[in-house]
Amino acid sequence: MKIKIELFGASREFSKNNIIEFEIKNNSTIKKIRDEMINYLDQNFDGNKDFKKIVKNSVFCTENNNIVSDNYKITKNQKIAIIPPIGGG
Amino acid sequence: MLHAKIVDIKEKKISLSDAEKFISSNSYGASIFFTGNVRDQNNDKNVVGITYDSHDALVIKSFQEIYNEAEEKLNIDEKSVFIEHAKGYLNLGETSIIIGVACKHRDEAYLLSRYIIEEIKKRSPIWKKEHYLNEETSWLKGNPIVNEKN
Repeated sequence: MKIKIELFGASREFSKNNIIEFEIKNNSTIKKIRDEMINYLDQNFDGNKDFKKIVKNSVFCTENNNIVSDNYKITKNQKIAIIPPIGGG
Repeated sequence: MLHAKIVDIKEKKISLSDAEKFISSNSYGASIFFTGNVRDQNNDKNVVGITYDSHDALVIKSFQEIYNEAEEKLNIDEKSVFIEHAKGYLNLGETSIIIGVACKHRDEAYLLSRYIIEEIKKRSPIWKKEHYLNEETSWLKGNPIVNEKN
């Protein structure tokens, strides 16, 4: 199934479209998404260490606006947001 | 009472008068207004502006949670709170956040205002991209959100 990762903050630098799409198996976990993103950065940004650090330090958020752990299973075509380290105000 | 909003700078600037109108009440004897503004220096760099990015729904959810916690953690049940955060490109001196609080007494108002801004810094998914005099830009590193759910 297809999954869309919506990019925010520093991760917007990963794509001009502000979204990255991956093909993954049903019931794949957030951990799998994290690994796919690292692969994507290896392929498209020569493994940019700063970008990879952003992915490692991020959490992920479902369409229902819940922050979920690496064990969370994705069971349908859905949009997941990557939430890099924050700092507003 | 809570007013919580992310405001796109292309549509409107956030304003203190909106906060004042919202929290104004004869029931409260103390009001505090906090504003965050774009300053010209950060980490020895000359800043000319900041682009604010936000996950709007998650930010509003965090504002509501912070507001609700004030009752449990600070024991402040009667209060009026206005929180607006700007989104988009802001020039030097422009206001990125307004927190207006009204409570019965000043001790509560000071406590609540400080609690809200500190929790927003820790928990609300908002990001800053600084723009410098030399035309370079940089996303600020920020703090990772702690994952609370499994």
